[in-house]
Amino acid sequence: MRPMLLGEMTPETLMEELGTSPSKALAARRLAQLGMPTRKSEAYRYFDIEPLMAHDWEILRNEASAEIAESEEQIVITDGRVTALPKGVEVQVGCSDAIDLDGNHFDPLYYLGHLLSPEVISIRFKEDAKVTLVHRFTQPGKLLAYRTAIYLDANTHVQIDERFEGEQACGALILSGSDVFISRDATLTLIKDETLKEGDYVPILSHRIKVDSQALCRLHSFDFGAGSGLQLIRVQLHEHARIDADHLLYATDHARRGTVSQIVHIGQSSVSNQRAKNILAEKARGIFDALIKVEHTGKYTKAHQNSKAILLNDGAYMASKPQLEIYIDDLEASHGSTTGQLDEAQLFYLRSRGIAKEEARKMLILAFANELIDALEDERMRERLHASFETAYWGVTNVTCMETCHGCEDLAAGTAAK
Amino acid sequence: MSNVVMEIENLHARIGAKEILKGLNLQLEEGKVHAIMGPNGAGKSTLSKAITGHYDVEVTEGAIRYKGQEIVDWEPEDRALEGIFLSFQNPVEIPGVNNAYFLRTAVNAKRKHQGLEELNAAEFLREMKALVQELGMKPEMINRSLNEGFSGGEKKRNEILQMMMLQPDLIILDEIDSGLDIDALRAVSEGINKMKDGKRSFLVITHYSRILDYIEPDYIHVLKDGKIIKTAGPELVAELEEKGYGAIEEA
Amino acid sequence: MAQEELDKAVSGEYALGFEIDIEEDKVPPGLSDEVIRFISKKKEEPDWMTELRLKAYHKWLEMEEPHWGHLEYEPIDYQSISYFAAPKKGPESLDEVDPKILEAYEKLGIPLEEQKQLAGVKVAVDAVVDSVSVKTTYQEELMEKGIIFCSISEAIRDYPELIKKYMFSVVPMNDNYFAALNSAVFTDGTFVYIPKGVRCPMELSTYFRINALNTGQFERTLIVADEGSYVSYNEGCSAPMRDENQLHAAVVELIAHKDAEIKYSTIQNWYPGDEEGKGGIYNFVTKRGLCEGENSKISWTQVETGSAITWKYPSCILKGDNSVGEFYSVAVTTLAQQADTGTKMIHLGKNTSSTIISKGISAMKGQNTYRGLVKIGANAEGARNYSECDSLLIGDQCGAHTFPYLESKDAHGQVEHEATTTKISDEQLFYLRQRGINEEDAVSMIVHGFCKEVFSQLPMEYAVEAKALLNLTLEGSVG
Repeated sequence: MRPMLLGEMTPETLMEELGTSPSKALAARRLAQLGMPTRKSEAYRYFDIEPLMAHDWEILRNEASAEIAESEEQIVITDGRVTALPKGVEVQVGCSDAIDLDGNHFDPLYYLGHLLSPEVISIRFKEDAKVTLVHRFTQPGKLLAYRTAIYLDANTHVQIDERFEGEQACGALILSGSDVFISRDATLTLIKDETLKEGDYVPILSHRIKVDSQALCRLHSFDFGAGSGLQLIRVQLHEHARIDADHLLYATDHARRGTVSQIVHIGQSSVSNQRAKNILAEKARGIFDALIKVEHTGKYTKAHQNSKAILLNDGAYMASKPQLEIYIDDLEASHGSTTGQLDEAQLFYLRSRGIAKEEARKMLILAFANELIDALEDERMRERLHASFETAYWGVTNVTCMETCHGCEDLAAGTAAK
Repeated sequence: MSNVVMEIENLHARIGAKEILKGLNLQLEEGKVHAIMGPNGAGKSTLSKAITGHYDVEVTEGAIRYKGQEIVDWEPEDRALEGIFLSFQNPVEIPGVNNAYFLRTAVNAKRKHQGLEELNAAEFLREMKALVQELGMKPEMINRSLNEGFSGGEKKRNEILQMMMLQPDLIILDEIDSGLDIDALRAVSEGINKMKDGKRSFLVITHYSRILDYIEPDYIHVLKDGKIIKTAGPELVAELEEKGYGAIEEA
Repeated sequence: MAQEELDKAVSGEYALGFEIDIEEDKVPPGLSDEVIRFISKKKEEPDWMTELRLKAYHKWLEMEEPHWGHLEYEPIDYQSISYFAAPKKGPESLDEVDPKILEAYEKLGIPLEEQKQLAGVKVAVDAVVDSVSVKTTYQEELMEKGIIFCSISEAIRDYPELIKKYMFSVVPMNDNYFAALNSAVFTDGTFVYIPKGVRCPMELSTYFRINALNTGQFERTLIVADEGSYVSYNEGCSAPMRDENQLHAAVVELIAHKDAEIKYSTIQNWYPGDEEGKGGIYNFVTKRGLCEGENSKISWTQVETGSAITWKYPSCILKGDNSVGEFYSVAVTTLAQQADTGTKMIHLGKNTSSTIISKGISAMKGQNTYRGLVKIGANAEGARNYSECDSLLIGDQCGAHTFPYLESKDAHGQVEHEATTTKISDEQLFYLRQRGINEEDAVSMIVHGFCKEVFSQLPMEYAVEAKALLNLTLEGSVG
């Protein structure tokens, strides 16, 4: 396929290029309604999408399917193709007609991703599992579009630890994301850990998460470092469904990173808790643009949202846009947002105990981040994320037992006996 | 007269645009317990903030000499490392900062300052656990976030725990008895009394005389309208109890 | 509460929906260079003003109507609106004001006569019917202090230097579609100038009323508070019941110099239309204040109960160091009303601070949106903002939406935003009723409690009026 200017494409030309299928037709129609993102698009208001849209991209195309290696517990997707799979995980690669596309996504690039993506990698969980999903990018400067779909059967409990490796793919644009379907009574814990450097690939990850009756989704995203990247998430909550979404952002340099989300309460008694913490240094820009929408059918909804940001220096920039859109009176909804600096009283307290100012600042920043890291249930993940944050923050990790441990009783008891 | 550990001379200090301390003079002697008493709004807490270098307080005139050195321009942590300890009236809550981790950082900062080797986690925890027990604190305090969700009594005990771990030379107790029930008050004062060693000095700031039944003062200073208006022995407490602050006139 | 009862009660008659029968002097509907020249001529304006109007008109022609608001309404046909309507008799003094207009004002409860003092407090009133200012009271007394309080038409004729200096300085003529339209066709409005160091001795008020059929009202208000001065200004609005929608596109500009303070209160009670969404005023208003000098302060308080559509964001540009901006708002949407309202606080100067308190009440099919922008510039060191946006829902057909934009570039600044959405809880109601308070009073008590922070910002007399109006608007829905 010839290189293409995204900004100049129309749904018609895309259909021509890509052939038609019912889901592609839906995607094309929705894309036409939403229009290609511009500086004025609400979802990309703070992101600076235009240079990406104006760029002359060569789309990365893969040859026929690669060999799939068997792995311990890692699913590896390299440049949009599955290259490794653990035993027992069912993966199908099929065209996007196989999945039920979201007809009301707010993000035009969700649809563009589907249009450009040759097929959808569908991962299905029929039983409880803990897996690592690695996205590996190797091709610099190209546009890579691929979509994944994740299915959880009823009553399953699955943890997915999602990682990104793309040191070689500098300057690439990744249009990806997942369509996630969590069936009745199932629980998905999705942990995303992505650290970028200036000049790395640009991920625009557009997700859609459908949480069925009484199902639970725990979403933890950890975005560290510099560069540009945005995650756009649309969540649909059915009766008694629940989502707990935490987003920790630590951005430096000239980063433009963040989350744009819509949580839609469709069913009654659904619950959402969304927390964002943003630490911004140097010239970084953090984005938290999150809407909670309660439909007329969403009686007895409980929706709470909170965003906190710390600007470490002048020049750092936080754009926070917490929103409520509510069409029913029987509910509980609130949001709060603060942007500021470290608390002076806390800083003074630490210093009055002899801890130097810089050390005290670091302690408070770590503490600020800890709340979201400590919310991880899996202890190994917790440790990894502590290390990951500290590596991003200090350049090295020097996690000691006491900074993170919650079971020092053992150590204390052990040494007392010595 | 024993050695003077701190000498405050003609201290003027303000918070925002308001002058609170208006030419305060005070000498603190080594090994002695000094009590500062005074009505609300007299400037008691401002004095403790001025001594520790709090960001709210601006010293506009006068001097604070500690162990012979002028400290007005010192950073808060440098004052702490040199042995000044303030037990806060309302200790701030710091979610996410582990209590033990915080205290070990503070203890090791001090040890480093004194040229001592840092304590490892095990040594430190052994010491901390013993003191936690001694102060009647719940063991889980060790791993809770600093002051977060602590009751008033627990916060004060935690202040005393830090004091005992840091072994300071000048201890300022700002309304240490506020919000304490009788058991907590007893435990806290026992901790304080144990710290008396004839070298260490105490500055007890209080509105009520109750705490002075537990920590016997050597000197009573009455602070009113930003100045020390009277200094006397412990016998002054009874007089204050009886007549109130209004009766005390500038000597 | 039974929903039926609620609805029946909420649909209570619009108490200010009477129409006065006075002879109107109206231009035919539609907009063109000629119409603008006509308006300008009718107002006996100098040529420079005519030129400015034409310039604004041509800019407007190139602009597009904004549709980002959370609002749904029939397209506005700008060519079917009449842009100028004046009562035929030009009033020279109070005695010459058409008795029917006076009667109308009496019905509105406005003390137009100088002798009449509202709640014992002197209030200077400028009353604007349709397009023309009919009477300004207390003018002479204010003149003694050097305070100018007159209609904008008079000001253009009598104080051209002040107008040239300040008009369009805060809201440029091409600021937005509706502001551009207003700049081209504004018919009347109020001008206030408070000289250096003067504290305006009384409340200043303007009452706006749209009377004529198929007319738009496009008033323009300009208030300049010179160094160290203070003024409290109130505006009230109403309109008769009409089946068609009428357009109201006003512009208000405030300038506060060093150490000056402007307090601007609005009680807006334009006709809201009926429960099917038929009729009512389309209220597209641009209000903006510039805290030009150090330590200046601008405070907006609004009680919005009327209009079918409200699109309004009274804003503050905090340019002077230590300047203060405030926005206190109660917006009620019932019937089929839609409001998209809020504020913008733009922090440019050091240590500037702003407070936003917004209370939205939605009942029946009302849709209430708070939309606000807080922007802390990189040089606004130590800037602070606190926002609180609460919504109260009454009934399950209404909607409450909160869309704050919070942008901070200053590491020493602080931005705090909180919002809640609640309904009147059954427990609260039961508690009050158990103490012997009837349901209607209990709900009213809770609603007033909900709005208290905002009402307390209004001058006393107006707070009383606002409370009465709130009761009237929600009559029955609240009981």
